[in-house]
Amino acid sequence: MPQDNHHIFADGKLSRSEDTLRIDTLAGEMKHLPVESVGTLYLHGQIDFNTRTLGLLNDYGTTVHVFGWNDYYKGSYLPKRQHQSGNTVVEQVRAYDDQDRRMPIARSMIQASMHNMRSNLKYYDTRDHEFGDAIERIEQQQELVADIADIQELRGAEATARKAYYGCFDDVLRDPFELSRREYNPPSNETNALISFLNAMVYTTCVSAIRKTALDPTIGYVHEPGDRRFTLSLDIADIFKPILADRVLFRLVNRRQLNLDDFERELEGCLLNEGGRLTVLEAYEETLDETVAHPRLNRNVSYKTLVQTDVYSLKKHILTGEPYRPTERWW
Amino acid sequence: MTDELSYSDSERIDNLIERERSPHREPSVRITGLMVQYYHVCRRELWFMSRGIDIDRGAANIRRGSYVDEHSYRNKRRSFSIDGRISLDLLDDGDVMEVKVSSALEEPPRMQLLYYLWYLDRIHEVEKSGVLAYPKERSRESIALTEDTALEVEETLRGIIDTVEADSPPDLEKKPYCHSCLYQDICWL
Repeated sequence: MPQDNHHIFADGKLSRSEDTLRIDTLAGEMKHLPVESVGTLYLHGQIDFNTRTLGLLNDYGTTVHVFGWNDYYKGSYLPKRQHQSGNTVVEQVRAYDDQDRRMPIARSMIQASMHNMRSNLKYYDTRDHEFGDAIERIEQQQELVADIADIQELRGAEATARKAYYGCFDDVLRDPFELSRREYNPPSNETNALISFLNAMVYTTCVSAIRKTALDPTIGYVHEPGDRRFTLSLDIADIFKPILADRVLFRLVNRRQLNLDDFERELEGCLLNEGGRLTVLEAYEETLDETVAHPRLNRNVSYKTLVQTDVYSLKKHILTGEPYRPTERWW
Repeated sequence: MTDELSYSDSERIDNLIERERSPHREPSVRITGLMVQYYHVCRRELWFMSRGIDIDRGAANIRRGSYVDEHSYRNKRRSFSIDGRISLDLLDDGDVMEVKVSSALEEPPRMQLLYYLWYLDRIHEVEKSGVLAYPKERSRESIALTEDTALEVEETLRGIIDTVEADSPPDLEKKPYCHSCLYQDICWL
């Protein structure tokens, strides 16, 4: 079972204290974090730590994601693998290298991503919004996907669908929030800043889930492994962004849990300030813990577990040929 | 005991024994005690495990099993690992002991222990008898290698080789204990 995420916002020092973690903040506070209950640690502040601390995190298989200035994702400290499986990596690469194996995986990933975008629009379509055209455009792209034999074209179809999807955001979002157009590096307005931050969180959630298996995070099926980031995480993240990031965004804005004071504008960009990030993370973590009844597993699973089982399903497909069923919102 | 036992006339088993005995030759399938147990619990689980398909080792019932194993009769038994194939516990009186949390499933641990006895007898020519112990239930059961049980072991070994060498896992099959299996998230997705 996935364990909890812990976020540290304070500046200070993280250390090993006996067999657990201890954080001493610059403000003079001290806290113990029971290491066995920390699945993933997020460091948002300026934190000092040493190799002894990393050794402890390693023993417990705890992943650490590090965020830098203004909470840009910097990178991750991944514990030593618990599962070494050469067999898995060999099959993962073979599946990437063989068009007949890669394309069906990539197609199902894109299909799932489009399905989840469309599902969000349908939800708002039944609530006084007119998204019929956009839904239709996404459906057209979904139909095309079945016949696409080229990975570039597949990504093109995904981009077309995503454009139609983002085109509806302004209508969903309550004023003064607007998307206008998706921009990053740096995000150009509040909505772009929110999307970027939430997408980064989804990405790290996927990194942690992949790390729990023997899969190599750098070899993806939709994205090319030449990218600097973990391309398999990007693939899986695209499936979950509509479920985990966009719904949280809509909720936070429309319930007025966020306002323009939660952002800071500088260097022609716009970013969440610390108060805003806390609000967003709280909502994001709550969403990860939300549960739905899983039809095939016959029990309730959290959204976070869905990310994990999605990765398991991919791994099973790669090793056995049994169908990969990426997560398509059924609830 | 060894002299009186007659074993099955099976080329594949003879082959396995020959390769296990030879210091430089590996059998095509390295059969461990756990594999014997899995074969009798669920062949699909065995296939997944043999392919290195991983599970969450931190799961509660794994920790419980290890705890019971580590804390029971520790003053009376010593652990040995043999050829990296089987790892068994010897009691002071020389019997092989296998410790389990619960007797809910009878056949799998019984066959696991019988495999140890078979392995000792056939590969290393050491005769032993066995004890199956359930410390939480305060009960034990004596297990011996006989002609019949030796044949059962060999049938199991052939079955394991067939299962593991198959290109795809055995089909899904709903069992009463699926809900407590560590592979359920992989199986049913």
